[in-house]
Amino acid sequence: MNPAALIPSIVLTIIFYSSSNSFGTLKSKLEQNTHKIVHEAYHEGNWELFISNADGSKQRNLTNTPKINELYPQCSPDGSKICFLVDTGTGRNTIRSAWVMSRDGKDRVKISDHARQPCWAPDSKKIVWLPQEYKKWNVVDYYSNGLMFYDVSTKKSTPHPISDKIRHLYNPSFSSNGKWIAATVHAGMGFNHAILLIEANGSKIINLGISGCRPCLKPNGNQITWGSGDHTIEVADIDLDSNNPKVGKRRLMIRDKVNKIYHSEWSPEGKYITFSRGPNGKGDLSKPSTYQGACEMVGVFARGWNIFSVPTANGTEIDFETASPGKDYYQVSKNGLSYKEADWLHQTK
Amino acid sequence: MKLPTLLLTATLCLCSCGKETKKTTQSTIELKTGSGIEVVYVPAGTFMMGKENGDDDESPAHKVSLAGFIMDKFEVTHEMFIEAELPNPSHWQDDPKKPVEQIRWQEARAYCNERSIMEGLDPYYDETKSGFPIIETANGYRLPTEAEWEYTARSGKDSDYSFGSSRQLKLHSWFEGNSGKRTHRVGTKKPNNWGIHDLYGNVSEWCEDVYDPHFYKNSPELSPAGPETKSSDPKRVIRGGSWRASSAMCRVSFRRGERTGDTDACFFTDYCGFRCVRNISKEQLNELIK
Repeated sequence: MNPAALIPSIVLTIIFYSSSNSFGTLKSKLEQNTHKIVHEAYHEGNWELFISNADGSKQRNLTNTPKINELYPQCSPDGSKICFLVDTGTGRNTIRSAWVMSRDGKDRVKISDHARQPCWAPDSKKIVWLPQEYKKWNVVDYYSNGLMFYDVSTKKSTPHPISDKIRHLYNPSFSSNGKWIAATVHAGMGFNHAILLIEANGSKIINLGISGCRPCLKPNGNQITWGSGDHTIEVADIDLDSNNPKVGKRRLMIRDKVNKIYHSEWSPEGKYITFSRGPNGKGDLSKPSTYQGACEMVGVFARGWNIFSVPTANGTEIDFETASPGKDYYQVSKNGLSYKEADWLHQTK
Repeated sequence: MKLPTLLLTATLCLCSCGKETKKTTQSTIELKTGSGIEVVYVPAGTFMMGKENGDDDESPAHKVSLAGFIMDKFEVTHEMFIEAELPNPSHWQDDPKKPVEQIRWQEARAYCNERSIMEGLDPYYDETKSGFPIIETANGYRLPTEAEWEYTARSGKDSDYSFGSSRQLKLHSWFEGNSGKRTHRVGTKKPNNWGIHDLYGNVSEWCEDVYDPHFYKNSPELSPAGPETKSSDPKRVIRGGSWRASSAMCRVSFRRGERTGDTDACFFTDYCGFRCVRNISKEQLNELIK
């Protein structure tokens, strides 16, 4: 057969696959992904946790507690449990507490009152949480003093070895090898603002030297994602098995000149980064149980914010100005009711 | 309570009403509040605000009349934040008597409310409504208006610096010429004529007003409070020199608009601080003096 005769069919095949809306698209890949996404949302005057498939389908209210405000879900690596925050009371009388429940929203157990931003240890047996700086209410994200470990089986909390030296951390994230806890510090511990690695069972503190906040360590490997600005999220290599990890090659930059992009989280297999995206704002106090502050902060209503996912292997840059929806990024949620702080819930192992 | 020190300051208050220059007598009173914070009673008065032939936004110079008020003798410090159980956002935390900085505009107003509550006063800002609008009838602490700030900084003088020329600035101010690129303990430089410290340096100070470079063209004479705005997050006035300011920026009429930081999760403007004021009637003043 004359090879030249094959060229038209090859070209047609390439065109078919590259333009297809159903085969090999990001949507279809997410449709096939068996993990779930859990996030906070402001629903009918109340904060709730919602769960959906990875493509956003079959979304449902996981907590469904009209008088209790649930926020900031973090899913255990084994997919069995979710820890989260609860706000009770209003205004100055608000008490924020940390809780844990099973993946179906049942068996809720309080970890502590006056607690901030929990995260899971890689063995799914311990939860890191941050005690509030004072008992008095404040919405500021770095309002913490110390670092605690909660044992899920004994229901007891113990302080980190240098908890008394730890102040103003937020957004902790445990490394998959159990050696390090990454977190942002603001105006504390001798730092003006930095992303730190803190030795999980020791006293070593490493300033990663990257600007920005809210780091999240890859659940199955040596990479980190973080917000390097209001409008950028980055992914880079980091050698977490080393005793002196450093941030290495930058792998991915997500940009949005118009909207803020925050709260980047890895999918369990590390193929996707999920994040919140929406316009700038400082809350809306006409919404009950919300606060005034930068709209990316926990408890601040963020009008028009939704959850998005991007694949991590498609290239080195995704710019919303030029990116193709459905190819370069996928919009997981649609209605923009302050959808923030998404995390991936592993299919039960 | 420590007896208040009465400072009778005979000053030449340059109220240029037409071609007249009027001499008035000002009396300030140093006091301690219920929470032990040192303040100065600044009496009602009239002064010429702004500067002809200064920067564009400083002109025209115009007559302003104000009611009396109480102003903090020092910038709000780290230890005052600790006392109020608020998270201290400051860059330099090596001395509790240093001024708070990296403070967003709205957080400074929130501190005012905290202090009002600590002293049994009515909060001046309504925290239940977006933007924390003013409750005009409240007697609590608030940020100064730009006019109140300049009136106090001038302390009866009409020169660029109330103490004379820029040559004396290093005696009265931490600025780029002597700060070593950092903040310093409050009250370690000479006060102005009315006994108030650090107005000319250390950290610049948030005011309540929206910043408008053209506002002086239309400013009312009586108690101006800045222009109205429809913006949800306009620039706000910040006044006074700072550890990083040039001597020209420490001038009493120098104006600047600053982003509030209220929509920023991370606010790194480490020269932004503040001090509080509050309205006070003669009866309330007499009560405080007792």
